[in-house]
Amino acid sequence: MEPIPASRCPRCGRLCAPPARFCPDDASQMALTEVAGYGEILSFTTLHSPPAGFAAPLHMALVQLEGGVKFFCHGAETRGLKVGARVAIEAVDQVYYFSTLSLGERALLFWRRGGVRAGERLSAFARSAAKRLTRHGR
Amino acid sequence: MTEAYIAGAAMTRFGRREESLPDLIAEAARGALAAATLDRPDALVVSAMNPEEFIGEGNFASHVATYLGLSRVPSLRAETATSSGAAALFAAYAAVGAGVYRSVLVVGGEKMTHLSTPRVSELIGRSIDAYERSYGATMPALAGLVTRAWMTRTGATLRDISLVAVKNHANGARNPYAHFQEPVALETVMESRLVADPLRLYHCCPISDGAAAVVVRAEPASVRIAGIGQGMDYLALRYREGFTSFRATQEAARAAYRMAGFGPERVEVAELHDAFTPFELISMEDVGLVPAGKAVRMLAHGEAALDGRLPVNPSGGLKARGHPLGATGLAQVVELCWQLTGQAAGRQVQARVGLAHSIGGLATTNWVTLLERVE
Repeated sequence: MEPIPASRCPRCGRLCAPPARFCPDDASQMALTEVAGYGEILSFTTLHSPPAGFAAPLHMALVQLEGGVKFFCHGAETRGLKVGARVAIEAVDQVYYFSTLSLGERALLFWRRGGVRAGERLSAFARSAAKRLTRHGR
Repeated sequence: MTEAYIAGAAMTRFGRREESLPDLIAEAARGALAAATLDRPDALVVSAMNPEEFIGEGNFASHVATYLGLSRVPSLRAETATSSGAAALFAAYAAVGAGVYRSVLVVGGEKMTHLSTPRVSELIGRSIDAYERSYGATMPALAGLVTRAWMTRTGATLRDISLVAVKNHANGARNPYAHFQEPVALETVMESRLVADPLRLYHCCPISDGAAAVVVRAEPASVRIAGIGQGMDYLALRYREGFTSFRATQEAARAAYRMAGFGPERVEVAELHDAFTPFELISMEDVGLVPAGKAVRMLAHGEAALDGRLPVNPSGGLKARGHPLGATGLAQVVELCWQLTGQAAGRQVQARVGLAHSIGGLATTNWVTLLERVE
């Protein structure tokens, strides 16, 4: 499971991911922690006219991670996806994606991400595939 | 606290306008001053969300003061993203209420249509949390996330959120100040292209130019500002406990009703922030005009139409009147003043109390204003 950097408020226990300096509720300094990259789709959308640097269609989702923290991330595809679906989160080049995907779909995902050179896309995909293989091997 | 009244209200036609922003602002401001029979206000409050980037002008309150020939009048700019117009009215209300000034000219405007849609989307999107923005989130994207979660929770359908557009375009067709003055068919809305699934083009407000202005005075006039409340929520959507209703609206409404000393049962007409059509339904419940879960049925039964029990967005709303950011919160107030005083020819409703609701950012800084006709 991909560990996701987060922060916890020492006073109220609130979690933020990625980490925030101050708790948005009581202004306490937050402490760094990690949460498991696994959860449930709260909502998702496909943006057909994304901003510069992103290729259309751009899939994004809000995921409720284990422990209750909500997380904003990308996805490769939202066809057939439902609110409440269980998904895993994976980071590639510090960008987070939700997925329960085949290798081919993942290749497409990294290919589509705009603003990145072809060689970088290939190496990102290779690292992602290797990560998944080693995880399956465990 | 001194009572505050609206002594004059005016706006430009919204839409694609050739005039510069200062000229649009001058048209609205001079109209409001004339309606209030006032030459020189004690102070000027200007609202514009982002004139620095839209038209390349800074120090904008001074800019407007000098342009209007009010260069000695104390001037400031109020900004709470897309609800800046309501924030400007609040600043004037507070200043008059505290006895600092006896008359304040409040004018807001934005000039947007000269830029490309992606550029406008990027500029408005700067009011979104930086992390969510780094994932390509725009206003329509976040609104799409809210809408899908809300539709899943309530069972509302594509038809339900499309009926809002049909109603508001029908109202806009009766409003000579509206950006869109043509009705639309339900099928046109439902079959328009996807913007941010499940939101389609006709569920989203247009990009508009325009300005609106009111004069706030301590001397009694025909419309009294009964209450103004502001409510806040986290900048980040992911921090919110729930996002199928807006805490910022609920808290703003609570504060406004407390100030007014009455509740939603006295409201007879409302201008709600329908930047995305489902937001009108969510907001009807958030401000307490209908019990939770009843907005869809109320709309479907025609109760929110011009001839309904509680007309919502008789102007056409952001959807049809248009949404020149800094002008919108004031345009809602202008429409309500006209409705309450029988000056809304072609779309006149019978009402003594009106409610305006303005959303800033993705509902991070919202306002509710209550206006009452003085008998």
